Amino acid sequence: MSLSSRMVIVLTSVGLISGALLSTVGILTKERIALNKQLEIENAIITVVQGTHTSEKLYEEKDLVVYGSKDENNQLIGFAVYASGTGFQDKIILMYGTNPSFTKIYRLTILEQKETPGLGAKITDKDAFLQFWENKDSSKPLTLRKPAARSPEELSPFEVNTITGATISSESVLNTVRLSLEKLMSLKKEGKLGNEE
Amino acid sequence: MPPRSIGEEFTKGLWHENPIFRQLLGMCPTLAVTNAVINGIAMGLATTFVLIFSSIVVSSIKKLIPNQVRIASYIVVIATFVTMADRFLAAFFPLISKDLGPYVPLIVVNCIILGRQEAFSSKNSVGRSFIDALGMSAGFILALLILSSIREILGAGTFLGHQVLGSWFEPWVIMILPPGAFITLGILIALTFVIEHKIKQRR
Repeated sequence: MSLSSRMVIVLTSVGLISGALLSTVGILTKERIALNKQLEIENAIITVVQGTHTSEKLYEEKDLVVYGSKDENNQLIGFAVYASGTGFQDKIILMYGTNPSFTKIYRLTILEQKETPGLGAKITDKDAFLQFWENKDSSKPLTLRKPAARSPEELSPFEVNTITGATISSESVLNTVRLSLEKLMSLKKEGKLGNEE
Repeated sequence: MPPRSIGEEFTKGLWHENPIFRQLLGMCPTLAVTNAVINGIAMGLATTFVLIFSSIVVSSIKKLIPNQVRIASYIVVIATFVTMADRFLAAFFPLISKDLGPYVPLIVVNCIILGRQEAFSSKNSVGRSFIDALGMSAGFILALLILSSIREILGAGTFLGHQVLGSWFEPWVIMILPPGAFITLGILIALTFVIEHKIKQRR
C-alpha cells in the first residue's frame, strides 16, 4: 500500500471512530443537559417569584423570556423575567420577579455571568448585591446608589446598590432590568402577555 | 540512560518532570482556573481522564499511524475524549461545568497532553504509557491544588468554600485575579528550582 493511501485510510478511520463515539455520547447526554437547563430556570422562577405553584412561558424573543407565575389557586401572582445584557466582560443573564402590574420587583437572581472574580462576580452574592434588590418599587425608574450603601435599609425603595469596584457590572444589571421592564410594558399594552384575569 | 522502573515512571511526573513546575506546560488552564480549589480539582480530573485515555489509545495504535499524520491523529483522539469529558460535566456536574466555562474544551490544546503523546506514548508500550499518564496527571493535579489553595485562601479567606481565616482577614482580591495567578506561579516555580538546585548540590 502506498504511503498516501495509508495516510488517508488512517485519518478517515480515526475520524469515523471518534465521530461515532461522540454522537453516542451526545445522544446519551442530550436529554440530561436539557433537563439541567430547565431545572435551573424552574428553580430561578421559584426564587424570584416566591409562592409560585405553576409557571408558563408567555413570551419569548432573543434576550427576553417572560414566564407567568401562578399560585395554588391559579391566580397570577407575578411574572418571572429572563433577560440578558452586556456586562463588563461578557453577557450577564439574569432573572427577576415582578408583580402583575410591574410596579414592584420581588427579587433578582443571576443565571450566568463571566465578570471579574472577586469584583464584578459579586453580583451573584446575596450579601454583597442581591439582597439590595429585594422588594424594589419600580413604578418609577430605579437608580443606582453610589457610593455603595452598607445595608438594604439605607436605600430608598427606588434605589439599588453598587458593588464597590464593580460599577460597570452593577450598572449593567440595572440597565438590563430597566430595558426589559420598558419592553414588558409595551408588550403588555399590545396584549402579548396574556389575560391577567 | 538505563530504563526506568515502573515506580520511577510514575514519580517522575510528580517532581523531576512535573508538567507545571518543571516542564512549564499547560500554563493557560493552570493560570485560569486556579482561583478556587474546587475548579482546580475539577480541571485536574478532567485533564487526567483525557490524558490517560489518549495515552492508552495512542500507544496502542502507534504502529498503524504513518509518521506524517501522527499529530493530526493524536489531536482527533484527544479532541474526542475532551468533548466526552465536556458533555459528561455538563450533564452531571452542571455547576462545575459552568464555572470552568471554555476551559474544558480548551484541554484539547493543553500541551501536557499532546506533549506526552509525542514524547512518550508514541514510543512506549501501553502499560508504560498508562503509568506515565497517571504520574503526569498526578503531578498536574498536585500543582493545581497547591496553586489554587494558596490563591483561594489568600484571595477569599476560604478553602473549598469553607471559611478558614477569621473575619479579621481582609481578602487579597488580587490573588483571585489574573495577576495573582502569575505571581503565585512565579514564586512556586522559583521555589522548585531552588529546591532542585539544593538537591543536586547535596549529591
